Amino acid sequence: MTGVGGFFAMSADTVWAMFRPPFAWREFFKQGWFVARVSILPTLLLSIPFTVMVVFITNILLVEIGAADISGSGAALGAVTQIGPMVTVLVIAGAAATAMCADLGARTIREELDAMRVMGIDPIEALVVPRVLAATLVALLLSPLVTCVGLTGGFVFSVFLQHVTPGAFVGGLTLLVGLPEVVISLVKAALFGFAASLIACYKGTSVDGGPAGVGNAVNETVVFSFVALFVINVIVTAVGVKATT
Amino acid sequence: MSVAPSTLYPRARRARNVAAARWHRIGTQTQFYVKTLTSMGDAVVNYRVELIRLIAQMSLGTGALTLVGGTIVIVGFLTLSAGALIAVQGYHSLSNVGIEALTGFIAAYLNVRLIAPLVAGIGLAATIGAGATAQLGAMRINEEIDALEVIGVRSVAYLASSRVIAGIIVVIPLYSLAVLMSFLAARVGTTAVYGQSPGVYDHYFNTFFNPVDLAWSCVTAMAMAVVIMLVHTYYGYSASGGPAGVGEAVGRAVRTSLIAAVFVSLAITLSLYGQAPNLNLSG
Repeated sequence: MTGVGGFFAMSADTVWAMFRPPFAWREFFKQGWFVARVSILPTLLLSIPFTVMVVFITNILLVEIGAADISGSGAALGAVTQIGPMVTVLVIAGAAATAMCADLGARTIREELDAMRVMGIDPIEALVVPRVLAATLVALLLSPLVTCVGLTGGFVFSVFLQHVTPGAFVGGLTLLVGLPEVVISLVKAALFGFAASLIACYKGTSVDGGPAGVGNAVNETVVFSFVALFVINVIVTAVGVKATT
Repeated sequence: MSVAPSTLYPRARRARNVAAARWHRIGTQTQFYVKTLTSMGDAVVNYRVELIRLIAQMSLGTGALTLVGGTIVIVGFLTLSAGALIAVQGYHSLSNVGIEALTGFIAAYLNVRLIAPLVAGIGLAATIGAGATAQLGAMRINEEIDALEVIGVRSVAYLASSRVIAGIIVVIPLYSLAVLMSFLAARVGTTAVYGQSPGVYDHYFNTFFNPVDLAWSCVTAMAMAVVIMLVHTYYGYSASGGPAGVGEAVGRAVRTSLIAAVFVSLAITLSLYGQAPNLNLSG
């Protein structure tokens, strides 16, 4: 329970520190570049099989009921509303948050954070805030990438392997998915990046117990951020669905 | 300290060395996997106590994870929210075209073939997989693995093979629970929250529910468990670079194993349903 309290206390501190003048721009750009670098390859490698699988499974169904022409709408619905945010979750939590937590955890073990406090530098202001903002920004940018890669993968798979008419596929894209869905998916991605990086920073700054401690902290980061992100996904989807109807 | 003499074409040389190191790593990785798989029998025969201890530990998790109920609760929770997602998104999208009665069918079809195996795989990678990497990595950094070798314990069989076997055994009850959770969440979400009559939901769910698919999806989950445990034990076993190295190894292992698990699941799905979709809409 202390952990939960500590997490919320740190989150509140972080949000407060975000709006106070000394902002670590250099760290922000460095972290943004770092997060983008570790997540770009997993993003591409995860979003292609994910969409191909969804498109494949839905196409079986659509061919069976004689509606292969609207497979584009199935692909768009899957890619924009679920796969885009979902793959972003996996990448942000699995790649970015783990790397972040490992980095901060190693610094905590080496007492670098205590040294910063002694020098009068607030670690939250200097390390946590730029990380959280960088992860949020990168998550926001990753989600359209996932969607685009996913839609392209779905198109190639449907048209060249399952012989759906290209025109019908493209025409069906906007049948079920419009601007509101895209906006919701972007909001989701930004929230995921925010939550996952907060969890990673909390776990990273509260590490103890040597190498095993760092390993466990990273493990817990993955688990907790997956759980938190799945919950956020359900809630935002439900709210978004209510708001758009 | 003597300084190494400068070489001809240092950049090209460095690039070559990096490429060679990567190529070499693929080889050592393959070697490790083959060794782990072939010494599984050894682990069952000689290290049975360790195996049983690992099974107990994996189903409950370690450290702070036991507080929230361990692997079982986490994987169950992930599939629960995925099932709820089916209810929310499926019901909404289907009611757009006026066929929301078919939500039960979507739940029976997508949960079994797509969502439950994928989500369970993700849960496995995050919980028992990352846990294994953290443990093995810490053992490697503390030179406990070298100590094991010195006292004559075959470390690959004792640490890696036993974890792969434990993963396969643990995944069966875990996956059963995960599937049940996803069904439950989809049903409760559709009937209690969106107010569809349970009879309609159950009718379409039972009509299109295919037990053979369910068996295959369990096989998919087991295959993913093997791949995930192999990748995670490798990264833990070969961790280096102090506490930070363990953390990095966990991160790298999660990334690799997620990608590997999704590809395994894609390959199995394509080979199962690619030729014969095995879908009987006419009943």
